[in-house]
Amino acid sequence: MISGKSLRNILLECLAITCLASFFLCIPLAPCSAYDLKDKVKEFTLENGLKVLIVERHASPTVSLYISHETGAVDEGDGHTGTAHILEHMMFKGTETIGTKNFEEEKSTLRKIHAVGNALDTELMKGENADVQKTENLRRQLDTLQKEAGKWSIPSEIDRLYTEKGGGDLNAFTGQDLTSYHVSLPSNRIELWARIESDRMANPVFREFYSERDVVMQERKQTVESNPGRRLIEQFLAAAFMVHPYRRPVLGWTPDMRFLNIDYIKEFFRTYYAPNNTIITIVGDVSPEGVMKIIKHYFGRIPSQEVPIRHVTEEPPQSGERRVKLVSDASPRLIAGYHKPTLPSFDDCVFDIIDTILSGGRTSRLYKALVEKGIAVDVNTTNGFPGARYPNLFVIFAQPVSPHTCGELEEIIYKELDILKKEPAKPEELEKAKNQLKTDILRNISTNSGLAGMLSYYEVVTGSWQYITKFPDLLERVTPEDIMAVAEKYLESRNRTVAELVKKK
Amino acid sequence: MRRYIVYAAVFIILLSSCAWHGASLTDPDDIVYAPLRFEPPKAQRVKFENGIILYMLEDHEIPLVNISAVIRMGSFYDPPEKEGLAKITGTVMRTGGTKSKTGNQIDEDLDFIAGKITVSVGTDSCTLSMSVLEKDMDKGLQIFSNLLINPVFSEGKLETAKILETEAIERISDNPQKIAFREFRRLIYHGDPRGRLSSVESIEKIERDDLLNFYKRFFRPGNVMIALSGDIETADAVKKIKSSLGAWNIPGGPGKPPTPPVRVGASLNYIHKDTPQSVIIIGQSAPGKESSDYYAFEVLDFITGSGGFRSRIFAEVRNRLGLAYSAGSFYSPRTEYGVFGVYAMAKGSSTVDALSAMTKILDNMRDRGVESGEELAWAKESIINNFIFSFSEPSQIVMSQMMLEFDGLPDNFLTNYTDNMEMVKSSDLRYVAARYLSGESRIVLVLGNKEKFSKPLSSFGDFHREISGTENQEN
Repeated sequence: MISGKSLRNILLECLAITCLASFFLCIPLAPCSAYDLKDKVKEFTLENGLKVLIVERHASPTVSLYISHETGAVDEGDGHTGTAHILEHMMFKGTETIGTKNFEEEKSTLRKIHAVGNALDTELMKGENADVQKTENLRRQLDTLQKEAGKWSIPSEIDRLYTEKGGGDLNAFTGQDLTSYHVSLPSNRIELWARIESDRMANPVFREFYSERDVVMQERKQTVESNPGRRLIEQFLAAAFMVHPYRRPVLGWTPDMRFLNIDYIKEFFRTYYAPNNTIITIVGDVSPEGVMKIIKHYFGRIPSQEVPIRHVTEEPPQSGERRVKLVSDASPRLIAGYHKPTLPSFDDCVFDIIDTILSGGRTSRLYKALVEKGIAVDVNTTNGFPGARYPNLFVIFAQPVSPHTCGELEEIIYKELDILKKEPAKPEELEKAKNQLKTDILRNISTNSGLAGMLSYYEVVTGSWQYITKFPDLLERVTPEDIMAVAEKYLESRNRTVAELVKKK
Repeated sequence: MRRYIVYAAVFIILLSSCAWHGASLTDPDDIVYAPLRFEPPKAQRVKFENGIILYMLEDHEIPLVNISAVIRMGSFYDPPEKEGLAKITGTVMRTGGTKSKTGNQIDEDLDFIAGKITVSVGTDSCTLSMSVLEKDMDKGLQIFSNLLINPVFSEGKLETAKILETEAIERISDNPQKIAFREFRRLIYHGDPRGRLSSVESIEKIERDDLLNFYKRFFRPGNVMIALSGDIETADAVKKIKSSLGAWNIPGGPGKPPTPPVRVGASLNYIHKDTPQSVIIIGQSAPGKESSDYYAFEVLDFITGSGGFRSRIFAEVRNRLGLAYSAGSFYSPRTEYGVFGVYAMAKGSSTVDALSAMTKILDNMRDRGVESGEELAWAKESIINNFIFSFSEPSQIVMSQMMLEFDGLPDNFLTNYTDNMEMVKSSDLRYVAARYLSGESRIVLVLGNKEKFSKPLSSFGDFHREISGTENQEN
């Protein structure tokens, strides 16, 4: 529990096919490798701009397949939070040739459903002034039409096709920065994947939209509202970022989610799921030439399109500590975070080291000062929260052991941060952190899906997966003085946001 | 006789010709695939003189070595009133130092080489695992074997472990799903040690002598199996294990724990907690892996709720009714027994609707089994095709082959798995459904706030228990 490595993507929302599965997509904080990736990754780009990364691994006849679009919750317009995430759910509803008994008939019903649904939402947006009779009528119409559409649709066909052919880990993840679709398959079944994925990248059909909207509302109830830790994170981010979209939850704010709009979602899809905004990553028992033949055949026909230059509101520098409290019947928790630049800046790399020195393992400074002493039940730090395409946060999470308080934790944590600024880290401690960062990467790329996930993540976030191979040198350059300088520059109280969960008396 | 588990070897590209040339897309169901021929590597088994059994598989892709020692101990053996002892023993074995080094020294040595050693304690097994760089194998193994053979359970680390465990138990009340699944466990294993759970009071009573005695009772070489995989030659690994653990000689050890009594009697249980979503679990006893009913029950579970979007609970409760985000079934078979259940998290007002839908699906399965040949074929094909993923990582292959022996299952269990699955017929499903899904032994558990339910729970039958959210200490 002390390694913060899985926290980087805590805010990725996924389709969660089984409830007990964790919703984290574990991508390590900092890449590095004694294992030479350079020669193993084969890179291709189709004429339409679709990029493909392939690594051959023949230990078992299986393959892990990732499709990542360079888009996420940051690209949503105000009032439309939750769009990227519900789009990811809608992508599982089939295509014009998958999931339908007769698409021509179905199409006209779907068109009517969306018109009535839009009219109903428009009326409901009036709030107390909504016409009760009108909403009732529209609701009834919607019900009838949905039943009608049900006659033509075959639910969950994509899932059925994959499952039947041995697909595993079928899931999708929406984050602030990127959206990924993942499946593992027996390696002779790649054509099925290409057939399904290329079709839904070109012609998805958004069936069952209104019931899926109910499902994501339930998802929010389950993963946020019933989870004090997640609720606190939401409050924390909304305070730490005043204007940058990282302030908003990936799932969306409830009042926006109620009115998630099908036309807006379609437009979002058309804009950002373009082949030239997409990376395919394949790791497993394949031959690159063979796979590329299939990929060209299926994905090559999708036209490229212009992806607009994205203007994202920049977060102004913070000039004073911000504090939020969440009163709840749950046990106390603390989050403290500091603004910082993102990768591939050198300072971000220094933060990877700071992250490890503070919370990487049982001998890390915060673990020893808090958990080892029985003051906190756990403590974590994470570098690069809640996303990494834009400047982000270095965050500390801790939970006090009763009767200790969040205030006591803060005092001890800040003292440790001061030591970072004033005392150079000992060479052994620095070397230990570097060893840990390098080895964590090896552990993460040891599985096919781990490697595929990492390649696509760094390709999207830094513009090139090769950041992974360059990282060891970057890491080696970090000196004790760099750590002091970076700590001094960013870990100061005026750059800090603190969120505290306070137990209701 | 040697058998191929799954059929096929290297990936051959075989594009169905119409997809390649045709303007329209092939029907995904008509894609033709090259056969997949694969013989999973077999782990090497070595039995040492002192009784330790080693399963070993080389894997030279990444310069890491993984090693797991599985010991027969666990919460099943917790003495009454001292529930949590097994877990605390595992924790302090890892943190409390050895005869030659303090816990803190061990942590320093290990962190410096970026090695990871973790302990997990289950109901009837404890696993000590290490992941270490191949170049540091000797240093890592020395620490690992000393933790196993020479732990000293320092008083200070025990105190810390108790403080942290107590806080962790108190924090369970922040997690509605955890409360519900813990309570379900207590109900399903009522009258059996598996149903006793740790509490703040039971942790309080644990003392260092308890740990020492517990350790002495279980940590004996004849009670340990080791799975090792990674970037190391087999002969070298065997030599290293022998030199670090070969001199450990304490005979004896406990046998397998007895099977829990079969649960009889239905009950409806309500836990009051004011939460935005109710947690609903309905469950009962199920066959174990050695039962002839096992394969049919796997299929039953898949169709009921663990087979993804198409499975009945998911399709109905989530997709058709939109009542829940998470809904499905779980089946945890051990060798001699198993537990099966369905679950959903639904908003307060939909609680009773979700519960009704789930009950209807279970009743329907019990009364009719699986009538559609298509549904049965889909489930079997899915399970069989996915089985290859049981062999996708060397560490997993070596562990699962070792666990067969640990669990007392035949060593051809995995190799025969797909053939046995292939033989499941709809009459088998009907038989197991009728046998295990009887309403008379069904445990229903609802956690939520009944004020918010649109219909009273009593419409379901008589309450057996009402448990308040935080003090669930009843036995």
